Amino acid sequence: MQLNPSEISDLIKKKIENFDAHLEAHTEGTVVSVTDGIVRVHGLSEAMQGEMLEFPGGSYGMALNLERDSVGVVMLGAYQHISEGDTVKCTGRILEVPVGEALLGRVVDALGNPIDGKGAIETEVSSPIEKIAPGVIARQSVDQPVQLGLKAIDSMIPVGRGQRELIIGDRQTGKTAIAIDAIINQKGTGIKCIYVAIGQKRSSIANVVRKLEEHGAMEHTIIVVASASESAALQFIAPYTGCSMGEYFRDKGEDALIIYDDLTKQAWAYRQISLLLRRPPGREAYPGDVFYIHSRLLERAARINAVEVEKLTNGQVKGKTGSLTALPIIETQGGDVSAFVPTNVISITDGQIFLETGLFNSGIRPAVNAGLSVSRVGGAAQTKIIKKLGGGIRLDLAQFRELAAFAQFASDLDESTRKQIERGRRVTELMKQNQYAPMSVAEMSVSLYAANTGFLDDLDVKKVRDFEAALLSFMRAEESDLMAKINEKGDFSDEIKDGIHNAIERFIKTSSW
Amino acid sequence: MAELSTLARPYAEAAFKRAKQTNSVAEWFDVLQFLSTVAQDQDLLAIVGNPGIGKDKIAKLVLDICQDNTHEEAKNLVKLLILNGKFVLLPKIFALYEEYKADDEGYVNVELYSAFPLTKAEQNKYGAMLEKQLHKKVNAVVTVDKSLLGGILAKAGDKVIDGSIRGQIHQLAKRL
Repeated sequence: MQLNPSEISDLIKKKIENFDAHLEAHTEGTVVSVTDGIVRVHGLSEAMQGEMLEFPGGSYGMALNLERDSVGVVMLGAYQHISEGDTVKCTGRILEVPVGEALLGRVVDALGNPIDGKGAIETEVSSPIEKIAPGVIARQSVDQPVQLGLKAIDSMIPVGRGQRELIIGDRQTGKTAIAIDAIINQKGTGIKCIYVAIGQKRSSIANVVRKLEEHGAMEHTIIVVASASESAALQFIAPYTGCSMGEYFRDKGEDALIIYDDLTKQAWAYRQISLLLRRPPGREAYPGDVFYIHSRLLERAARINAVEVEKLTNGQVKGKTGSLTALPIIETQGGDVSAFVPTNVISITDGQIFLETGLFNSGIRPAVNAGLSVSRVGGAAQTKIIKKLGGGIRLDLAQFRELAAFAQFASDLDESTRKQIERGRRVTELMKQNQYAPMSVAEMSVSLYAANTGFLDDLDVKKVRDFEAALLSFMRAEESDLMAKINEKGDFSDEIKDGIHNAIERFIKTSSW
Repeated sequence: MAELSTLARPYAEAAFKRAKQTNSVAEWFDVLQFLSTVAQDQDLLAIVGNPGIGKDKIAKLVLDICQDNTHEEAKNLVKLLILNGKFVLLPKIFALYEEYKADDEGYVNVELYSAFPLTKAEQNKYGAMLEKQLHKKVNAVVTVDKSLLGGILAKAGDKVIDGSIRGQIHQLAKRL
């Protein structure tokens, strides 16, 4: 379909008609030096902290260092064409990005520009990237669950809507895999997802996009990309961009989930910018406010009450609370969780999911260390059925860990110890889950019930997963009503309990695995 | 490295405060203008910057040059600047002093660029408009700049008010 030339001229004519050429007053400055993406500008006496400054050639920079007679500006984008003596203009706007529903399903860069080749994004609303987190009165406590779809996490380390749960581990332990499974599992729940990729390889990000498209998860996801080849300034602001996009949904009374992958690289980018701006380095050469960059980001992930939502939407949305759940990811070196940045972020978040290389290599994937992982919201954010069944799992695994050393001498022990070890082995095996296969609440409940009631105790450990797979396909085929009922309400009434129990007994009698 | 303005500011402030105290703002203005011209002489700067010559020798030399055109306190300022190695800042000190003086007297120096030469009436009109915008009396210096295509561009320190055709075309281009 060809573009009609008259259509184009009509469009332009309309834009020109609405053009109001007003007298423009702004402040100007002159470039004094350009080094490594940092530009020093003389003048600009009215520059604000974090303001966008316009450079010749359409480049923009962010004013970060406000000194007596000059401003230290970090360039967002190309700066090779800028030379000493160039004029710099204030725009009067703090750095802002487009937000709204039009961004769902798109891949954008840290400034909100689309990079997926699917055309321009039409949004009406822009939001500054730096906003103050909701106050104490505006918040409501977390009591609704976010189902990540992973048995190990939803049963023992549950995440609620509005919580911040840190995913921490060494490289190649499955941190991004948990994040992607979480996004895939939000399909149909009404939770919008935002995946912020900071400092990653573009090939990895392309893989992520492809996997999400394959599983139909892109339509409720926004992907914000600041890859490794982009400037440190863009890698630094990308999480804030994503957060502003998530806050748009939170302030409308909807729920959103944001994943920062990963914040370690954002801290490195910030360290680079601060050192180039000649700010004094502190521990591990990080600047003094490296805690603040993460705390102000993560504080914006919250659940706000209905009164606040009504205020923010000017009375349009009543009686609904909004939430933004954050899953920040931190990569540790050599399993050292007591390094500077990991300890900072652990103290900010409401719990952590701790992934270990040892567990990963021995085949336990997701490689969650259930002993060290914690969710400070806990049972308040679990559906009733998972809460009841998850308690037993947690106990079995805890007792198994205690006796882990004796597991080698399994034949020389007394009956009860041996039973506990055997049960622990089977539960550990059950907690393993394939990638890109998140489970619904009903499926999880059935698996956990089978473990708790001892149906697995007679099986060979190696057969546990086959048993589970066969059981679940049986339930999906024969007991779809029961499953739908569990998924709908999440209650654990006697009726449902009997339903599951009888179904499993029938399965054992009739099927093979 | 700190900016020259930042280094010169304490001296300029001190000079202005002293001038206000002793009610000699205009005299200080003339003295500093003279000193600023002297301090831009390349040969003199070479001597002042030479580490081999003693500071008091340099001071004596400079004061000899400025003999009749400076008063006692200005001579003290020169000695202080040479002692601290900041003689080269004099032009900047003068520029800042000028700003303080203008600020104090309630007027501001404005550079007015216009595409076509302005009549006296037009100049007065623009002057009045700018006075309303900047809330200060305006001391306009007019320059003709053909590249503006039309209208005027006013610069007062950092602030720029762009009413030129060229500026409007840029705005339109950004919009489209």
